[in-house]
Amino acid sequence: MSAAKGRSNKVRLIHDFLPPEGVPITFRVAGLTERLGAQVTDILITGLFAVAVVLLIALAGPQSTDELVVGLGSLLFFAIRFPYYVLTELMWNGETLGKRMLKLKVVSADGRSLTAHAVFTRNLTKEAEVFLPLTLLLVMESLDGWSRALAVAWVVVTLAVPLFNKRRQRLGDLIAGTYVIHYPESRLLPDLAGKATPQEERFTFLPHQLDIYGAFELQTLETFLQTDRHGSLTPEAHARRNQQLDAIVTQISKKINYEETIQPAEHSLFLKSFYAAQRAHLEQRQLFGDRRADKFHGTSATD
Amino acid sequence: MDTAITLRSARFRAEREADWTRLDQLVRVVERGGAHQLSYQQAKDLSSLYRQAANSLSVARETSLDAAMLDYLDALVARAYLAVYAPQERLGGLVHRFLTQGAPAAMRRSAPFIGLGFLAMFLGALAGYLLFFEDPAWYNVFLPADLAGGRGPEASTDYLRGVIYDDDAADGGLAAFASLLFSHNTRIAIFVFGLGIFACAPAFLLTFYNGLIFGAFYALHVDRGLGLDLAGWLSIHGVTELSAICIAAGGGLQLGAAVLFPGTTTRADALRHAGRDAVKLAIVAAIMLFAAAILEGFGRQLVQDRSARLIIGWGIGALWLAWFVFGGRQRNVSR
Repeated sequence: MSAAKGRSNKVRLIHDFLPPEGVPITFRVAGLTERLGAQVTDILITGLFAVAVVLLIALAGPQSTDELVVGLGSLLFFAIRFPYYVLTELMWNGETLGKRMLKLKVVSADGRSLTAHAVFTRNLTKEAEVFLPLTLLLVMESLDGWSRALAVAWVVVTLAVPLFNKRRQRLGDLIAGTYVIHYPESRLLPDLAGKATPQEERFTFLPHQLDIYGAFELQTLETFLQTDRHGSLTPEAHARRNQQLDAIVTQISKKINYEETIQPAEHSLFLKSFYAAQRAHLEQRQLFGDRRADKFHGTSATD
Repeated sequence: MDTAITLRSARFRAEREADWTRLDQLVRVVERGGAHQLSYQQAKDLSSLYRQAANSLSVARETSLDAAMLDYLDALVARAYLAVYAPQERLGGLVHRFLTQGAPAAMRRSAPFIGLGFLAMFLGALAGYLLFFEDPAWYNVFLPADLAGGRGPEASTDYLRGVIYDDDAADGGLAAFASLLFSHNTRIAIFVFGLGIFACAPAFLLTFYNGLIFGAFYALHVDRGLGLDLAGWLSIHGVTELSAICIAAGGGLQLGAAVLFPGTTTRADALRHAGRDAVKLAIVAAIMLFAAAILEGFGRQLVQDRSARLIIGWGIGALWLAWFVFGGRQRNVSR
């Protein structure tokens, strides 16, 4: 579930991406495994194409020594691969076929359009970072041990660069000024505090009861409440959810000193009602400049 | 206004949801088939709805705690941004702009670095030339055996002349072209550009070394009285090819200089800035290497006359120079 994954700590977010409109947009940084997957897909696509062409030439051409075929193949591979990356990323605004399949996209770090220069640079650097040393290793049989070690070390170092920066940028991304991001998915879940039903209005909360929690708890509760809306839960999951529901209701009513004991049948209603009241309260406070991030808002920062 | 909704942020959402849905639909059309799928009115709507949604997002971040809406709006604005700010330029336009404006202007801006590249090559050639006359044994130190192809100090003058003026039929055609394109000089050009990023030194040294090879090679032929013949043999493609290496070195040196002397910006920013011209230099070098490979693969076999070789080689060199010096002058080009 991507929504749940989006909140876990493992996901890296770009918060300071600023388009010309001046409203920052949050993007998810693409994971390295996904980028590797996209890369492998692209290499397979271009590689197969190159192999097909080489086979055609080898069948048609009279002189075909092994060395020539390998040399020609690596040359063709380059001649197909490089334009493939540049053209697809230019035409599809930062997506190759592999990136498309894995829902990745290249964006310009300055918040403007992706320029041809950026696309060209990041792919040219990719050649220098990875493909050229590997091609040399494969093609050059006369290479001595030192050169081989150097080529391998070069590839390893350049591949390790993304591990050492927050945005997972390759060397080429750094030079071109680009990020690789997850294509954002937008799905609008219903507003839980939309129209209040008469049953929900049965529960009332006093201001001091709403002063306890902050935005984090509110939104955690919202995430939980949204789970019964989308997707059909399996019977086991449904039972588990009911258990959690009971636990949450017990915890909340204890914490806020809710006088009435709530019947199990009304648990869901109670939580929705509490959510609406809590949100109204927090938003009201926020309008007056009192932002409450979580339940520790009242205590000192060192606490 | 819906009286049943009491919460301010819920009302905010209810009032705008229809617009967001419409924006969502338009963005989906662009995602599927590109911006040209939209009608004029739709394109107008897309841009204004995008700006409204960005505005809503900005307000919502301050006033609402509805995570469902915040997440949705964030993602929707991101998608709309990607749809609105997709590059709209055609490929032909890009190529045309590069050839007529971008490349020559970048070459002129980078003239000092390219000059350094040529200087490294020249100094190397001078050193190689002088060292060969000091002691011909240096020749084998500079030239790798596979590159020399039997053309060492021990080879006979006739053999050397034969290589210069003989067209080897088996070597012609596509195969030769392919191998030449991936030949020594192309590799050198790629390395001098790529390695320049390591504080200039590798780029300078490699160019210097390439000059050494060239100088020693030339000295060998001068020694046998074949200097001018070799000049013709090399000129036909070498003017283009060696210039390409010097230009690639210029690009590499530019990157290295950005790393060494970033000035008031950070190194990453300086590198990015230098990259704008350096990459153009690399493309120019690639184009020149490609041209050189064609000249080497075909021109050298077809043209056997010494002066014709010299004229073609230096004529083409003059054409390159004219492109760099006069290209894109009419307008004040901004990067």
